Amino acid sequence: MTAPTNGARTGAAIVFDNVNVSYPNGVIGLQDVSLSIAPGEMVAVVGLSGAGKSTLVRTINGLVPITSGEITVGEHRLSTARGKELRRLRSEVGMIFQSFNLAKRTTVLNNVLMGRLYYTSAFRSLLGWWKKDDVELAMQSLERVEIVNKAYTSASELSGGQQQRVAIARTLSQRPRVILADEPTASLDPPTSHVVMRDLQRINSELGITVVVNLHFLDLARRYGQRLIGLRDGRVVFDGPGAKADEKVFESIYGRSLTAEDVLDAPVVVP
Amino acid sequence: MSTPPVAVRPQPVQSVQVRPDKPRNGPKYAIAIVVLAGITVWSALAVEVDVAALFRNANNASRTLIQLVQPDYSFIPQTMPALMQTVQMAIIGTAISIAVALPLSFLASRATNPNKTLLAVVRFIMNVVRSVPDLLYASIFVTVVGTGALSGIMAIFLFDLGIMVKLISEALDGIDRGGQEAARAAGATWLKANRSAMLPEIAPSYLSQSIYVLELNIRASAVIGLVGAGGLGMLIDKVRTFYQYHYLSTVILEILVLVVLLELLSSFTRKRLLT
Repeated sequence: MTAPTNGARTGAAIVFDNVNVSYPNGVIGLQDVSLSIAPGEMVAVVGLSGAGKSTLVRTINGLVPITSGEITVGEHRLSTARGKELRRLRSEVGMIFQSFNLAKRTTVLNNVLMGRLYYTSAFRSLLGWWKKDDVELAMQSLERVEIVNKAYTSASELSGGQQQRVAIARTLSQRPRVILADEPTASLDPPTSHVVMRDLQRINSELGITVVVNLHFLDLARRYGQRLIGLRDGRVVFDGPGAKADEKVFESIYGRSLTAEDVLDAPVVVP
Repeated sequence: MSTPPVAVRPQPVQSVQVRPDKPRNGPKYAIAIVVLAGITVWSALAVEVDVAALFRNANNASRTLIQLVQPDYSFIPQTMPALMQTVQMAIIGTAISIAVALPLSFLASRATNPNKTLLAVVRFIMNVVRSVPDLLYASIFVTVVGTGALSGIMAIFLFDLGIMVKLISEALDGIDRGGQEAARAAGATWLKANRSAMLPEIAPSYLSQSIYVLELNIRASAVIGLVGAGGLGMLIDKVRTFYQYHYLSTVILEILVLVVLLELLSSFTRKRLLT
């Protein structure tokens, strides 16, 4: 496996300072969230659906605007970033989605190249006339997730796991300083979920990219997150190493005791 | 010890859930039916259908009909220039309209145009463009630029533009926007995200609708010729004025063949495109 050339950037720090988010329909997304994520950290965010996990990661790249407070990503401030500056910030932050979010009717390579759109002129974009270096970077990103043989296949022909790896390659082609993942395994079966999580883990440790990942399943979160953040009703109710998150902590996050539905893999019974 | 089985009536499920009352839609439907029936009857009164006239003119009609079922094939060579003009008008009209319609469709779709004001303006203009029938466009342009193919092409252009923008912008509204969201999350502008992630998704339906309007145009260019906008329609108008029904049926037959051929081609290509 080769590392992307032309100097991968180092991970960026993310700081939440008293962040509140309320949606136009009155629903509260986040309440008084203050967090500090170090460059190169891998953080798992857990909580019930509706607890604000998605809102939390989507504020980091401005897909959800914050109502008050401040988020700093590297040297960018979210509260004031608009237009060109917001796009610049987004170019440094890769995002992976639950439903992969690929353009299905075009090739895998074209999808990965979308990670280079910020650096591509409008004229070149309209003609689909990609720069050679960008194509090379896209190919290297596909190599990193071991799916380069599908470069000219239509995205719709791939399995779910393959599509998610293409989505990871798309973020890698941005040469990002942060990767956000919004329930990246929710549409995948357990073995494929582990493949995708291991890819993210490797990217974090080998490239030093800061990774924030939302997870529904607690075992995945504990296994892959160095640090675990628990959300409940838009508030941070736990913040600490995954190892310290015991039964009691989970009850405070979920408001009830754990059931088999909260873990991805059934516990293996050792005779 | 088990008791012998006894036939038991199924007991209602013990539950605190309340079943909703079935919504009573009967009166609403009844009113709708009465209103629709009323409108239909009123419309029939307005046209003052005179069935008797059909029989009074039967003699005349049968003579015309007999001529119509005997097309004069020797007339075909003389129709060739008009036939070619019809096809050319249809092709040029399609080419220009689909080129202009593509960017306009992106401006007319909620999914691809975030600017609410621009969206409303484009949609309003397109609604106006679409509400004018092709024959009316042709009459207007014949008055403005004179009889001939140019007025026909202009009429076809506006007629197609209305249809294409409507169909393609609705296709854009209906597709999965995941790719667009991802591209924007990677720092792309709306223009770049729409080009890279939305255009490939609608490309097959864009091509398929383009063939569909070409098909419409052959028909339309035959009709708009009646008001002087060139092509077979103008020829129809000429032979009809001189009661040359043998010739008239030849031209009608030609249009029929042309349309059927194009429809075969169109359904073949569309099938290939959409699978």
